[in-house]
Amino acid sequence: MIVLTGLNHKTASVAVREKIFAGCQEKKDLLPSLLAINGMEEVLYLSTCNRVEIIASVAEDSDALKDVKDFLAQNGGLNQSEAADRFYEYRGEEAVRHIFRVASSLDSMVMGEAQILGQVKEAYREALEKYATGVVLNRLMHCSFRTAKRVRSETGIAVNPVSVSHAAVELAKKIFGSLEGKIILLIGAGEMAELTGQQLIERGAQSIIIANRSLVQAELLAEKFHGEAALLDTLEKKLIEADIVISSTGSTGFIVTANMLKKIHHQRKNRLLFLIDIAVPRDIEPETSELENVYLYNIDNLQDIVDENMHVRKKEAIKAEIIIDEEVARFVNWQKELESVPTIISLRNKAEEIVQAEMEKAAGWLGSLTKENQEKVEILVNSIVNKVLHSPVTVLKEESSEFSSRDIVAAVRRLFRLD
Amino acid sequence: MILTNLEIISFNIAFTLSTLSTAGYLSSLLVKRVKLAKISTWILAFAFGSLTVNLLFALINSSVLINPGSRDFLSLCAWSVCAVYLALQFKTKTRVLGAFISPFILLFMIAAAGEASGKSLLPQNLQNWLTTMHLFCVIMGEALFVIASCAGLMFIMQNSLLKNKKLSRTSRLLPSLSDLDRINHICLLGGFPVLSLGIIAGAVFAGISWQSGWLTDPKVIWTFAGWVIYGFLLHQRLAIGWKGYRMAVFSGVAFVFLLLSYGSVRLCFSTLHNFI
Repeated sequence: MIVLTGLNHKTASVAVREKIFAGCQEKKDLLPSLLAINGMEEVLYLSTCNRVEIIASVAEDSDALKDVKDFLAQNGGLNQSEAADRFYEYRGEEAVRHIFRVASSLDSMVMGEAQILGQVKEAYREALEKYATGVVLNRLMHCSFRTAKRVRSETGIAVNPVSVSHAAVELAKKIFGSLEGKIILLIGAGEMAELTGQQLIERGAQSIIIANRSLVQAELLAEKFHGEAALLDTLEKKLIEADIVISSTGSTGFIVTANMLKKIHHQRKNRLLFLIDIAVPRDIEPETSELENVYLYNIDNLQDIVDENMHVRKKEAIKAEIIIDEEVARFVNWQKELESVPTIISLRNKAEEIVQAEMEKAAGWLGSLTKENQEKVEILVNSIVNKVLHSPVTVLKEESSEFSSRDIVAAVRRLFRLD
Repeated sequence: MILTNLEIISFNIAFTLSTLSTAGYLSSLLVKRVKLAKISTWILAFAFGSLTVNLLFALINSSVLINPGSRDFLSLCAWSVCAVYLALQFKTKTRVLGAFISPFILLFMIAAAGEASGKSLLPQNLQNWLTTMHLFCVIMGEALFVIASCAGLMFIMQNSLLKNKKLSRTSRLLPSLSDLDRINHICLLGGFPVLSLGIIAGAVFAGISWQSGWLTDPKVIWTFAGWVIYGFLLHQRLAIGWKGYRMAVFSGVAFVFLLLSYGSVRLCFSTLHNFI
């Protein structure tokens, strides 16, 4: 049976998550220790900044899940009552659904973020290296990757940006197309402005100019971006060169005004200008927005876009849940097929189909035989097939009560291409 | 006979594909899916290939290069617009522009479908290489202006969405402002000399053949006025530095003028160009 236990950003504070994370990180033989738990068959350990989870395949009627929880709590220094409040647990189909939702980023803090799938893949790689997974978890993880891929490609869950800096980058692309060769002017040295500037540079912007009241601070930031530092007094001159302006000073008055832009309009040769004002109180006069080829967005405008995108993601999540339902059903079906009886039936059916097809192919020359001889040929063929199938079917029946039968069943299904 | 059949088949394929691609492009605007526009671009590319084959067969079948005013000529116009648009795709990847341009290609194809292949619509005395060049260049030049104006129209839409702080699905579907401005620039830059060449070819022919009277022909006056307007726009862009919104608005105005001139000449006046 597949089980899952752990904690995440919804059930535990960052302090508790840190403790558990540190406890698990310190333990070098974490996976072997988990495998040593009574009833444990396969195991995988997933840890990100928002979650620590153990996914396992355990023997039916075993206490392995409880032991795993105790193991985690002990490593994180939590007592039993603390652990009971914070750890969640899922069994069977619910555990499968949970891991599919995690891989598809439906359970993430920022729904639709792309990082989680990489982290799940990394956790699986580690478990593979330690030989901690087997038939069931291997299949489960591959199914979870496929589900995540389907969710990303068939829904719009990850299409629109849900952070202010990403929204600014998307707007810049809608204005300029490619950001190659574009010059960014940062006014002030705020953290958000720095982050947005960084993202624009990563997406191909040519260079960055940092204009600040204090030249020392501007130079510090300029060094980081390999850009140019300037004093605020030279702002008008720098605005002539700039394509994208990000302002985040603590000034109480407007730093960039409509008149200023009108004055340099000709020198800028009418080029498009994207103004991002993330300062409160605002740095850029709202009237600049009315100027031709000038596009002004303040922090509220950007936040509105982010909120709208989040709303779209939530709507898309409904479609994603349907995909997850389909994939869970598919996986559960596969699990059922791992029992030996359906496999024996499939094997016999497949053999019968082959016999039928071959008999039809041979109908031409079989027709020239007498009816009696035709029946003899048919008996002979069936007898050979039954003899060939006798050993695999017997082994499948004999081992059906053992756990190891799943490996054999999986092998038979693969060898005879029954899936 | 076989060649004629192949010519008809290739035309029919091109016609079907261009209808499909136009429907696809327009649907992409309605459902706001770029993927549909991408598929339509591929369909249009196949239509272009089929039309190329059709024109090659027409060339083999016909004794003259391209008979002005015939189906082949109209096919050539559709082919030219298609070629310009597909070439622009390599440069800017603005597939949604197809929603504005493919209907014009389809119109040429519909007009072509109504005519018999190889049969000339031009009076015998007007069939020569000067009139062929005149017709081809004028239509190509105006087609480029149409594309420039379509890009301008899309620029106005995108500009209004971005000015209103809306990053809606429509905005995401439309190309970036810079790309649209560049298309406008390229088409004006290409369209003006081509139209000029067409007008010169027409004037030379009319000067030799008709000698007088053609200068006051309403079609000539309107076309010349259109040429002056687009020349003015190109001048403002290159010499004065007009860009972006203003250029888009004036391109739109010029386009309306172009449509009005075509409509009024066709409906209200009797001209030397009545055969078209």
